[in-house]
Amino acid sequence: MLKGKLKLPVPEKALRVFPDRLGSLVAGFDDKEEDNGGSDVAFEHGEELETFQPNGFKSDRASDDDEKFQEELEVKVRPRPDKDGAGPASVSRVIAADEKRSDLEYELSRPEINLEKLQRIASTGLPDGGRLRAMAWKLLLGYLPPSRDLWEKELTENRKKYANLKEELLQSPSKFTRKDGAFSPDEQHVDRDMDGPLQRQEISQEDHPLSLGKASVWHEYFQHTEIVEQIDRDLQRTHPDMKFFSGDSSFSRKNKEAMRNILILFAKLNPAIRYVQGMNEVLAPIYFVFTTDTDEQNAGNVEADSFSCFVRLLSDSVDHFCQQLDNSAVGILSTLSRFSELLKANDEELWWHLEFTSKVRPQFYAFRWITLLLTQEFNFQVILRIWDSLLGNPFGVQDMLLRVCCAMLLCVKSRLLSGDFVANLKLLQHYPDINIEYLLQVAQDLSPDTSSFRLSL
Amino acid sequence: MVLVLALGDLHVPHRAPDLPAKFKSMLVPGKIQHIICTGNLCIKEVHDYLKTLCPDLHITRGEYDEETRYPETKTLTIGQFKLGLCHGHQVIPWGDLDSLAMLQRQLDVDILVTGHTHQFTAYKHEGGVVINPGSATGAYSSITYDVNPSFVLMDIDGLRVVVYVYELIDGEVKVDKIDFKKTTTVNLVFL
Repeated sequence: MLKGKLKLPVPEKALRVFPDRLGSLVAGFDDKEEDNGGSDVAFEHGEELETFQPNGFKSDRASDDDEKFQEELEVKVRPRPDKDGAGPASVSRVIAADEKRSDLEYELSRPEINLEKLQRIASTGLPDGGRLRAMAWKLLLGYLPPSRDLWEKELTENRKKYANLKEELLQSPSKFTRKDGAFSPDEQHVDRDMDGPLQRQEISQEDHPLSLGKASVWHEYFQHTEIVEQIDRDLQRTHPDMKFFSGDSSFSRKNKEAMRNILILFAKLNPAIRYVQGMNEVLAPIYFVFTTDTDEQNAGNVEADSFSCFVRLLSDSVDHFCQQLDNSAVGILSTLSRFSELLKANDEELWWHLEFTSKVRPQFYAFRWITLLLTQEFNFQVILRIWDSLLGNPFGVQDMLLRVCCAMLLCVKSRLLSGDFVANLKLLQHYPDINIEYLLQVAQDLSPDTSSFRLSL
Repeated sequence: MVLVLALGDLHVPHRAPDLPAKFKSMLVPGKIQHIICTGNLCIKEVHDYLKTLCPDLHITRGEYDEETRYPETKTLTIGQFKLGLCHGHQVIPWGDLDSLAMLQRQLDVDILVTGHTHQFTAYKHEGGVVINPGSATGAYSSITYDVNPSFVLMDIDGLRVVVYVYELIDGEVKVDKIDFKKTTTVNLVFL
């Protein structure tokens, strides 16, 4: 898989008990490691697996539906010293992960899916690879309805709509004029194969490439070339370290082409916002998850599904991208002040220090965190894990997003308190690696901002 | 979908001050990929103006051009089509189809663009197409009376070309369209 790193959705806890039933199984204590989330734990599991095979543990794994998962585990084992000496704890973690996976599969296979249950599982992280994450995301975003029998109908309808949109809006003007049957074959018949002056057709009132009329297909086309150029530039810069997106392979070019279509369509359908730099980053995880979906039924329709889910995800935060709405009640500034209030409600000392002592206002660092849904702050695997939590929050993506941002501040509190404007800003704009499960747990436990209209459980 | 602008015989500043305002408002940068100019601009300022419309500019020398280093003829390939460019004063009799056909065979092109007569024509002749974009400014000519400003825009898309002819008649811009397609052999077929 990506960069040889495996991510097991293991709920790790520092000294606290999980609310859900898996918590009782986890006994180990995990330090806040300076590494990518729990990925190093995954390698330990691989090791543990090897050790416990003779104990009949392997038979457990063999009964797992998803063979690929098993394959990956065995292949990607990297010899590492056992970080926590508690052997049973690691095993229980693997068992916990396994149970969660089968839990999730059971949930997803029911005819009427319990969205709340799914949200809860998602908040603890979804398994990488396979088809579970893609399906879960589609359900959580509301693309797929909870009742299974409606799926077929919804999917075909949406995909057809997308194909129509593409045909209508993404065509080049020459093909468009050609389709109209703009010439009459009978008149021209005489000229066929005969020399002489060419027949001319008067089209002063119709469309031509230099037309400046609003209704002209050509005019519209040229107006959009600027946007298309911007989109192309941004796509070149998306995740340059990942083969999936960058480089010259035909695979990455195909992906970029699909993402390009999606973004152009979005820009054309939303003339108020058009395309804003950064939308490519929000699209990337969605498109990636759907492309790596191992379910063959969805394989040919990745673009259509990604488009719909992208639109749904963005519908919450689309106002953040609109400059005119900056100062309004739904704009980015109001969200930033909500974020400030949340921080104040949870840790007044830190809030005071940031706001007044070091004068690091949220506009300087949180703008990118919030508008791009944290896609620029962490590496790709971590982003997917964070998005699992964001999508799995029953109160919506934005609520969880603010909590995670707050948690990010709390987790580096000591460094922030001892830093001045420059140091703090530098720290927050290049957020350090952190144990992601710990971060998400802190986010979950934050007391909500009582000034907002949403009440917690 | 490649847009190619063909124009010529502007004779600025000797016979005309500038392009007509209506043409100028339509010709904006960013839309056109190539410009081919038959010649007789005549001064450098016109060359610079055309360069702002599109960086890919091809010009051949007309007899009144002040820049002496333009070539007499030029050929270029755009998409599936070979285009030939020449001012036309070298081909005698001026505007004669058979003589132009000789030039076309010499250059081995599908579409030959020439000027000098200051009159728009488009002919299919002996397996190729000869286009004369006329004079873009409507400059007077010794061989044509009542010159209307005109130029040509070609939309080359694969094996098919749509030629849009823009003419300024009585102060109004009239647009005409000509459609033709190239078969895989030399001959061009008209739809």
